[in-house]
Order: sequence, then structure tokens, then C-alpha cells
Amino acid sequence: MPASALLVSVIIVPLLGAVLTPVVGGRTGKASGPWAFGVMLVTSAIALALIVHVANVGPFSAYLGGWEPPYGIELRFDEFSASTAVICLLGTLAILFSFRYAEKELPTERIRYYYTLLLLNLTGMIGFVVTGDLFNLFVFMEILSLSGYALVAVSGEHTAEMAAFKYLIMGAVSSLMVLFAIGLLYALTGSLNMADISVRLAGAAKAPAMLAVAALTVGFMVKAALFPLHIWLPDAHAIAPSPVSAVLSGLVVKTGLLGMIRVYQIYYGAKVLDLSSLNMVLVWLGAISIVMGAFFAIFQEDIKMMLAYSTISNIGYIIMGLGLASQYGVIGATVHIFNHALIKATLFLGAGAIIYRTGYRNLTDLRGIGRSMPLTTAAISIGAISIVGMPPTAGFLCKWYIALGAVEAGHPIFGFALVFGALFIFVYYIRMVNTFYFLEPVHPEILEVKEAPLSMLVPVLILAALCLVMGVLGRIPISFIEPAVIRMLAPLGG
Amino acid sequence: MIDLLWTNLDYAASVILFCIGLYCVVTKNNLIKKFIGLNIMETAVFAFIVALGVVEGGDAPIMGVGASAPFTNPIPQALILTGIVVAVSTTSIALSLIIRIYQHCGTIEADELREME
Repeated sequence: MPASALLVSVIIVPLLGAVLTPVVGGRTGKASGPWAFGVMLVTSAIALALIVHVANVGPFSAYLGGWEPPYGIELRFDEFSASTAVICLLGTLAILFSFRYAEKELPTERIRYYYTLLLLNLTGMIGFVVTGDLFNLFVFMEILSLSGYALVAVSGEHTAEMAAFKYLIMGAVSSLMVLFAIGLLYALTGSLNMADISVRLAGAAKAPAMLAVAALTVGFMVKAALFPLHIWLPDAHAIAPSPVSAVLSGLVVKTGLLGMIRVYQIYYGAKVLDLSSLNMVLVWLGAISIVMGAFFAIFQEDIKMMLAYSTISNIGYIIMGLGLASQYGVIGATVHIFNHALIKATLFLGAGAIIYRTGYRNLTDLRGIGRSMPLTTAAISIGAISIVGMPPTAGFLCKWYIALGAVEAGHPIFGFALVFGALFIFVYYIRMVNTFYFLEPVHPEILEVKEAPLSMLVPVLILAALCLVMGVLGRIPISFIEPAVIRMLAPLGG
Repeated sequence: MIDLLWTNLDYAASVILFCIGLYCVVTKNNLIKKFIGLNIMETAVFAFIVALGVVEGGDAPIMGVGASAPFTNPIPQALILTGIVVAVSTTSIALSLIIRIYQHCGTIEADELREME
């Protein structure tokens, strides 16, 4: 099959799969889980073929309906779009994890819609990263946001619904910001194709271009939950079903960051504005995010709440790396988008397995769980070590690169913020590991709990193994993404 | 300055609408009112983008016998058609969430809900 047809089918397959899920699932929804799993396996295979292709020949495009840009909609697969791989991987594993989870935690009549929403959410993300058209980007962003709001509320408890509403209000306002900016850019350039906008923006008026970049940045900052726009995240991510938390925390917030990368690609290329002051703001917000996220996480009793706050500090790392606008910083940030997705999914799925078996979610109640669920807690511990950034795990390399980026950009002080944040993070993850292994159980029945069922254990263990493997083979994603970052930063003269 | 405002009255109006909507979203206590604020913001952005495509004295851009320039730009209208679909879906999700919250808690005032937690 030609590459362009593959590129279209990577969106079409999960989209069709999502639409057919309620039909296949039937009234009981029994078949919908395996069906969704199969759909994601096919999508993963397509994504893999696309990544092999991009590694061989570089970025390539598909024109929808045969209309060439700037008139038609262009799908463009570049190195940043390779995050499709991690979306497919996490999506597949989250669906596998959901088999037993959904059976127990969700009302039966909702199971098939749960898988539909999950597939739609993944479709939205895949579309978001492969599109080359700004308005198309907005549409996919709405697909993933709307299904995200519904997924948070899917359990039907009133706390979940309130969290979903809060998420919806923040998310919808940020989407409007993005839409407004798209309108402005269209008015300035008469085009919606990102590459074309970048060319035409060069001669545009400065003030509206600045307004557009500001609106886009704020919009994507809300999606990415950067401090101080993070307030929707802890509730939504902690209350959602665990596989959904893994997808939301690992992937959905990352779309905000990938959106920022797209904005940078447009504006760096156009050279219409000097973005260094905006970048400085982002670096500061990133640094504050790292410290505040970690600070709040220390005081959480609820294990999923703690993980949610830890996402905020990791978003801080990534934004800081992007804002530094130095080669090392941006590479570190981009790779951390991938690695954090793996790590956070390990932690959320592991936590989900523990909650599934014990019914407890507070750390005090979970004391001693390491003795009855050794494999799950071992996986969580690997995730914890990775997220702190200890070598030789996945978290180390990207944080090291971001610190190098801070030095390279001439702001070594932010390297300290990074290390300081890592210490904070270390404190609360040590607290978690300590609870699992070394404290006397509060509830004696916790020692009687069985290990997680196989369909839950396998995804958690695969992800934990990947956390280690990506630490050792960290060179591969870095050398993969390097040409794209060099291309993006080239107009800055770096 | 006033002249500039007068020639760009449509943009100014949508900015004002946007601010009214944002004010409602941030300050209102009732979830429905919050949400209506969001709808006002949506309308403001839609109005802004449709206004971009307006050409003085422009016709509907339908080709065929007797069609003559100038035409209004159809692309913003097509975009907003999609935008409206998105807005309707957001509205339906939000309203169904509000109904569920009311069924569970018996109130849709944000401060009373916060006390319940």
C-alpha cells in the first residue's frame, strides 16, 4: 500500500472501529472489549509501518480527496507525528487492562460506550498529531476533548460528573482560544495549511500575529495543564477509571504540548516575531509547575491524586525544555513527552490494579500491599524510579537533556530548578514505595489479596519493562527526533 | 481611534461579547449560567470568524449562469458550520452532566456542590 493511503487509514481504521463498537458489542458489551483491542492492534501495525517509512525517507504527506494544499486538507507525517506509536501502544494496553476493570467498575449497559469513547479519544489524538491543517487540528482536538469529558464521567458517580464538568468548562474555553487564533491566522494569511501559513506569515502585521500566538499558547497551556491553569487536572485524572487516567495523563495532556510544537514550527519558520520573551515566560511557568506540582503531591493521601499532581510537574519539565529553545532542551522535552507517557501509564495502571484488588486508594490503607501483590508493586516501583529520573531508567535521559539545554541556553539556574523538583518528586515516591513494602499493614486482609489478573498484569509489566528498556536504548528516540528539532530550530540561527 | 473602532465594529462587538461570556463563566455560581456564558463566548468567536469572510456587496459564492464577482468568502462559513457542530456536542454533554449532577446532589449551585464534597 502506498504511504499516503496508510496515512489516511491510520485515522480511518480506529474511527470506523469506534463507530462500530456499540453494534459489535451488543447489549451486554461483552464483545466490545476484544473488538476495540483488535482495532488498536491493526492501527498499531499501520503506525509502525508509517514510522519505518518516515525514518527512511523523511516527512511525507497525503492529500485528502486529491485536493492539493493550500486548498485541500493535508495530512502530514513528520518525526513529531511518530508519537502515534506511543498513542497506539498505550491505547492498546489500556484497552487490554480495561477488560476486567470495566466489567467490575462500570454499569453493564455503559461498557460498549466506554470502549467507543476510548477509541474515539485515541482517534482524535492520532488525527491531532498527523494533520497538517490548522482547522483540522482544531476538529481532532475537539474529538479528543469531548470524548475525554465523557470518559471522566463514565463511571456515573456524582464526584466524577462534577470533575468532568469542571474539565469541560476549562477545556471548552481553551478550545475557543485556539479557534479564535485560527481565525486570526486565517485573516492574516488566507490559508489554513500550517506549512503555508508559516510561509505567508513572514510579511504579516506584528500585532495580530502576536495576539494569535498568545491565544494559541494559552489555549494549549490549559490543555496541557501547566500551572496556574492546571486546576481541572487533579480531580479529573484522579476520579476517572484507571485505564482512562492512564490515557488522559499519559497522552491527552501531551496533545497540548504537541500543539505548542506545531505553533513553534509555524512561528519559528515565519520569523515574524521574536518569541524569546514568550519562551522566557514559559520556562518560568515550567519551573514553577515542576516545584508546585511536586509540592502538592507530597500532601496527597489518595494514590491517584498524587500521580495526577506528579503529571503537572512533569508537564513543567517538558514546557521548560520547549521554552529553552536550545537543541538539547527541545530534544529532551520531546523525548520526555514519549517517556513520561510510558512511565505515567505504568503508574496509573499499576495503581488501578491495586485499587481493583483491594478497593482502597489511600496510602495508609494500602500499607503492606507489596507482600501480596509483588509483581504490580515492583512495576510501580520501577515507574517511580523512572519518574524521579534515576539512571538507567527512561526518565533520566530526558531530564539530563533538559538540564543540558538550560546550560546551553545560558540559564543554568533552571537546571537547579529541575534538580530541586526531582528531589521533591523523590520524596513522595519514596513515601509511596515505603508504604508498599516496609510499613505494617493497617488492614490485615490486605495480605490476603491475590495478585492482579493476567489481563491487568501484562500491560503493567510491559510498560514497566519499557521504562527500563527506553532508559538503556534512549539513544534511539533521541537520534530519531534530532533532525526534526534541528529543522524546527534552524530559523533561529542556532 | 474612534474611526478605527467604527470601521471594525463587527470585530469590536465580538470582543465585547467574548468578554461578557468569559465574565459569566468565571463569576456565575449556577452551572447553567456558567454554561450559557460559554455559549456566548462561542457565539462571539463564530461571529468574529464569519465577519472575516464578508466582502462589501458580495454575493453568495455559487458558480453558474449569471454569477458575477464579488463573492463573499465561503471558507469561514464552512469552518463555522463545523464549529457549530462542535458547540452543539459540547452543549449536549454539558447539559447532560448538569442533569446528572442535579439528580445526584439536588442542586446546581457551585458553592453548595463544593460544600458537599
